[in-house]
Amino acid sequence: MQIENLSAVEIVAKIKSGEVTAVQCAEHFLGRTGELNDANGAYLSTCDAAAMAAAEAVDADRAVGKTLGPLAGLPVAVKDGICTRDQTTTAGSKMLSKFVPSYDATIVQKLKSAGAIVIGKTNMDEFAMGSSTESSAYFPAKNPWNHDHVPGGSSGGSATAVAAAMAPVSIGSDTGGSIRQPASFCGITGLKPTYGRVSRFGLIAFASSLDQIGPMTHTAEDAALVMQTIAGHDPRDSTSAVDAVPDFSATLNQRLDGVKIGVCVDHFGDGVSESVRAKVDAAIEVLKALGAETQEIQLPYTKYAIAAYYVIAPCEASSNLSRFDGVRYTNRSAAANLADMYTHTRGEFFGNEVKNRILLGTYALSSGYYDAYYLKASKVRRMIKNDYDKAFASVDLILGPTVPSTAFKFGEHAADPIAMYLADIYTVSANLAGVPAISIPCGFDDAQLPIGLQLQANRFNESAILQAAHQYQTQTDFHLRRPE
Amino acid sequence: MSNLAQKVALLARLHLPDDRASATQADLEKVLDYVKQLESVDLPDDTEPFFGAIESVNAIRNDEVLPSTERETILANSPDSDGQFYKVPPVF
Repeated sequence: MQIENLSAVEIVAKIKSGEVTAVQCAEHFLGRTGELNDANGAYLSTCDAAAMAAAEAVDADRAVGKTLGPLAGLPVAVKDGICTRDQTTTAGSKMLSKFVPSYDATIVQKLKSAGAIVIGKTNMDEFAMGSSTESSAYFPAKNPWNHDHVPGGSSGGSATAVAAAMAPVSIGSDTGGSIRQPASFCGITGLKPTYGRVSRFGLIAFASSLDQIGPMTHTAEDAALVMQTIAGHDPRDSTSAVDAVPDFSATLNQRLDGVKIGVCVDHFGDGVSESVRAKVDAAIEVLKALGAETQEIQLPYTKYAIAAYYVIAPCEASSNLSRFDGVRYTNRSAAANLADMYTHTRGEFFGNEVKNRILLGTYALSSGYYDAYYLKASKVRRMIKNDYDKAFASVDLILGPTVPSTAFKFGEHAADPIAMYLADIYTVSANLAGVPAISIPCGFDDAQLPIGLQLQANRFNESAILQAAHQYQTQTDFHLRRPE
Repeated sequence: MSNLAQKVALLARLHLPDDRASATQADLEKVLDYVKQLESVDLPDDTEPFFGAIESVNAIRNDEVLPSTERETILANSPDSDGQFYKVPPVF
């Protein structure tokens, strides 16, 4: 048995039955990380001692017959933009190179309470601003399918960690596609839950009305397992939803008879590569064979989604990142007075992409420009939300490619920020509207790079997404393939 | 839009060295050119802005006293403190 080829569901079952121990699992994935991280840059740091202690505790609990938590012994990699107690949390930025949180994010606390073992913190674009991890202030993560290609971003390290089997499960965050786009590029499953479904307490904020934490896994079944632990209201996040959390695994094995899937014609435009189009078309046939009915739908205002997003997200970021001013978070530039200290600290420790977005947001919110930028973008956002509401009056799911292409090469979009931003063209709308969405592997292009299928559902209907994704995965093996 | 980047950098309290100003300016212009398309989007007159993905009611909770993080713990991450307060360079 090769532990790295097991799904999270299988690992949890085998630890429970005693077939493997939590210590063996933690050692195995930490060992692989030690061997592979120099080559693929998935992790910024690992938590070896704390992970081994936690794994030993799980094994000790089992030995004395204690009831184990639902994730007991499951190694989990956590994006470095999520606070972990006593473990450096950099958000991929030099600004936080020495920041050690004194508390766990709510989702980390929940994972640990469920018995999961946090083994390390994954690489990311600085403050989650990017689509390739090229903006990480440390080093880029590599796509395990081909190291000349990016893993996507911003949760690129989380995607690489799972795709390269350096962790069975990772946690990412998604502001405009940062879970789904890297999941698509790396051939794994990545779920962005409904806005509010998962607490953001302890997530270093990028754009607070768009950010959402979610699982990155090999299978939809694993995503359901992790969601069961991390979802739910948190008194420490007033935007977290009070809605009841369903049993996400309960409906996985139901066929798709009567499920109505809207095929978004706007997501099959000129920019979509032929191989992506062909594989997504093939996926539609698989879903139909499982009983789903398809119909064409339109989301006419989503063509403005990237434009609205690149006003709204930088506006929120410019406000959120004002806290990094050299007073509270470890790093400070020397200066003779307070104003210069702020200015030089931010100039020295923020990377270029972060600076660009802060400047964009500051400009858009500056006196005289509010109506033209932020207000107009927020009105367009309303129309995008209305598009979704209208679509979900007649369909259960919306289907399309996650990204118009497969993973691009390092440096390919260095000269043109817009080309990079357009990698998120089909993912940002879900964040603007607050709906849940998943990317699952649906094939490979001629260069053997993975292709992702996106399924979106109405707010709080992750169950429909997970069911369709799992059903699809019962008929296909793309999610089981591993890079060499 | 000459010096736009530097003007905004001043507002954002962000030191932009001279050798980065023109590249930053060029990046900003590209994005502003792209988002300019929003100007021409026709919207129904009564369109309300949508600021948050969930239009929830006020989130209220009982006013209970809970333990706060220790001052010492919080100050442990500060670049400079006197054990009681954050220390910063003089304002003037």
